[in-house]
Amino acid sequence: MSKSKEQRIEDSYDVVVIGAGNGGLSSTAFLAQKGVKVLCLEQHNLPGGVATSFVRGRFEFETSLHELASYGPQSNKGSVRTMFEDKLNLDVEFVQVPEAFRLILTKPGEEMDVSMPFGVENFIDTVENEVPGSKESVEKFFKVAKEIRDAFSYIGKSKGKPDQGVLFKEYSNFLKTAAYSVTEVENALGIPEKAQTIINAYWAYLGLPMSRMNFTLFASMVLVYAEKGGWVPTDRSHGFTSAFDAKIREFGGRIEYNTRVDKILVEGGKVVGVETTSGDEIKTNYVISNASPTLTYNKLIYPQSEVPEIAYKDVNARIHGLTGFVVYIGLDATAEELGLHDYGYFIMDTMNTEEAYESWAKLQAPKGLACVVLNNAVPDCSPPGTCMLDITTLYQPEAWKDVKPEEYVDLKNKLAEELIIKFEKATGASLRGHIEEIEIATPATFARYAKLYKGIFYGYEPESWDSIVPRLSMMGKDVYIEGLEFAGGFNRRAHGYSSALSDGLISAQLTLGKLLQEGGKHE
Amino acid sequence: MSKENEEKFNVTVRSNTKDLFAFTKLVPNRKKRIERASSEPLREDPINDLAWKLHPERQFLIIDEIKEETKSTKTFKVVPDPDSVTKELAYFRPGQYISLKVGLEGVRITRPYSIASSPKDALKGFYELTIRKEENGYLTHFIWDNWKKGTKVESSGPEGFFYHEKLRDLTQIVGIAGGSGITPFRSIAKAIINGTIDAKLTLLYGSSEEDDIIFYDEFKEMEKNNPSKIKVVHVLSCDVVTLEGCEKGFITKEIIEKYCDVNLSTFFICGPQVMYNFVEEELKKFNLPVKRIRREAFGEVKDILTHPDFPKEVAEKIFKIKVHIGDLTKEIPAIATESVLVALERANLNPPSKCRSGECGFCRSLLIDGKVYINPVSDWRKGADKKFNYFHPCASYPITDLEINIPRDI
Repeated sequence: MSKSKEQRIEDSYDVVVIGAGNGGLSSTAFLAQKGVKVLCLEQHNLPGGVATSFVRGRFEFETSLHELASYGPQSNKGSVRTMFEDKLNLDVEFVQVPEAFRLILTKPGEEMDVSMPFGVENFIDTVENEVPGSKESVEKFFKVAKEIRDAFSYIGKSKGKPDQGVLFKEYSNFLKTAAYSVTEVENALGIPEKAQTIINAYWAYLGLPMSRMNFTLFASMVLVYAEKGGWVPTDRSHGFTSAFDAKIREFGGRIEYNTRVDKILVEGGKVVGVETTSGDEIKTNYVISNASPTLTYNKLIYPQSEVPEIAYKDVNARIHGLTGFVVYIGLDATAEELGLHDYGYFIMDTMNTEEAYESWAKLQAPKGLACVVLNNAVPDCSPPGTCMLDITTLYQPEAWKDVKPEEYVDLKNKLAEELIIKFEKATGASLRGHIEEIEIATPATFARYAKLYKGIFYGYEPESWDSIVPRLSMMGKDVYIEGLEFAGGFNRRAHGYSSALSDGLISAQLTLGKLLQEGGKHE
Repeated sequence: MSKENEEKFNVTVRSNTKDLFAFTKLVPNRKKRIERASSEPLREDPINDLAWKLHPERQFLIIDEIKEETKSTKTFKVVPDPDSVTKELAYFRPGQYISLKVGLEGVRITRPYSIASSPKDALKGFYELTIRKEENGYLTHFIWDNWKKGTKVESSGPEGFFYHEKLRDLTQIVGIAGGSGITPFRSIAKAIINGTIDAKLTLLYGSSEEDDIIFYDEFKEMEKNNPSKIKVVHVLSCDVVTLEGCEKGFITKEIIEKYCDVNLSTFFICGPQVMYNFVEEELKKFNLPVKRIRREAFGEVKDILTHPDFPKEVAEKIFKIKVHIGDLTKEIPAIATESVLVALERANLNPPSKCRSGECGFCRSLLIDGKVYINPVSDWRKGADKKFNYFHPCASYPITDLEINIPRDI
């Protein structure tokens, strides 16, 4: 390929952010706002990473967001809304999704079909209604969850140096559950199995079995949805990621699309620059990588001899999360006509989450689906007389490792068809005669567009030993190369949109702190 | 609920001491697990390998064979350039195109061409591209003069959405083709015959002269050998027709319903713009659901002046575009009736592009200042791109001076 020399970027930057995913965008915006000379390099020609949209025919599909946590209404803002509105003043519009979720369990003999409302009280009452006698234990779940939320907030305010005495006195339930899985704590609280099933429906958003998922992280997530609701942008994730792009430029920051970093140059353990496949040679002492540590250490650090052994050990010790499979359907009937009255459907063959997780290791129709009918939150997201449905499931990347290109289309069609049939059976809606547009994303699709390692879009699995409590406690001690920070779903707050967005801010603040320490460059 | 109102309740998982102890061990345990882990680098990534095989960013090709199809049409058989990194050709879905990137007279331009061969041929190591020489075609004249066996050509991976999708489309495909719009249907027909697609094809193929018909013998042969799967009807607009079994005139409602059960068919249209305009009107008479009519993107709008809402008063004008690309800022001239993409190519800025129809979004750029005309037919922008002034240069025409920021080609 001929690369024009005169188009090359050869300037130096205070900070280079690699990747314009959620974490990269919030990092870049924060630094640009503070007057830091920041350049964000994105290999795709769009912002957002997997937080984007695509157009087929008359439809603009959401790629990956089901509902944003930590947004909340104007009267009860969550941290993401505060970031968007108060800190960055992004030009965005979000609406609340109408209900928490509808859970349909299809296992013969254990069938369940329950629609859960937002609001802690309503949530508890609806569980009690389904599972009489569960109320007291579910109330305890939320009490502990609130204590955990407050503990995280206290730890945040203490800038990672909480007073042990205060933790023991005020937040003992946080300490006592921090090392346990969801199953362990829910059993200890005496929550009946069927009630656990309902509470645990959100598990797919983090994607590891309840017996391994850390309780504090999961309980915080359930609480934030129950208290603040789930929110979606009116113009898909591309709406808010584009708003970031516009704001970054307004602040004087720079984003270059179609620009792929292939080397983070390191000398004597310190970042000194980056090089791109376009021939750019950019001097910088600070890189915030929105690529995973796995990719960064294994593919980007140059020379490779600068990667310390401990960095490889770090990424090898951790359990890589899941990739996924999404069927996007544009239908030529309204949601009403199809009988799809809910926004979010969790459809599970079984609520044995180990079993469902295991089903994601094989190339078969998976045992758990998370589905969204966007029109039930954003009625005009598609033309009159139509609606959009996304059916999402997860996979362990290894399931896809032997797929050959010539088998690929038939395979994805077969799996998609099985998911459609499962959805139709569970909801009673008949989709097949109404499909106007259909697109299927596989692990290879996520790898193609976002260049994710093995297509993995969830970060490292938050088992207790590697959940956010130990991750946050080791902050700073896991910097193996001077000047290198990470941001995004693989980093300290684990995965999910709101976690990645918030994490980007922390990484940017830390980097800004170092820049300031370095001396007087900025006010 | 404030904390004061809540009665303090204590959770115990194992015992008070054990639970607190477990907390204190979290960080030491994490350190230990990291310390004990392997320090081997991770090199394998079969998922990205698969993605790359399906969607290579570039394919380096070499012309292996050239076949004369008609007086103005040639088929170029291309294979991987043995001196390049391209070792195999990407598999594709019948009906998809590749975008060629050709250097001529010091500039590099792209053109999308449907792959005329079958996906199974790609596994054997070749694609066939059938190209018609256009009267005023800038690129095709160059191709006719320069492309020989051994000429190297660069292309994109397979692109586009003009393919039979069994979860959506009916198994009766009615192809409506005009001129060189026949090419994707050759791939589709071959794929039906060799079992890659489970469907039947009835092809209504419009040509202006008998000797303009591309693949006449080949389709006759396919039809003869697979009478239950392939049916071809030639529709000729010339005055004198000597070939047997042809229809005269254009592809009208009457001809369409004569050869297919309209309500049990999915229509696929590929051809020049004039044919779209005509056929769309005819198909409207059947009042079919949107999903039953699939259209191939027809490339750059040929004569933007014929579009009624194009501001005629600027037609003769040449505007200035201030272009930011990478670290380069350059002012270039732009003719109002040519797309911004063409202006960028003429200025040798090597912008990214693939479909040239507004559809793929690969050339997506930021409009910092000024106004462009965007033909509604080619307006595939996302909602937020409209809001934040992103546009597709291949489907946009300058109607004032502009300032734009374009990405570099990757």
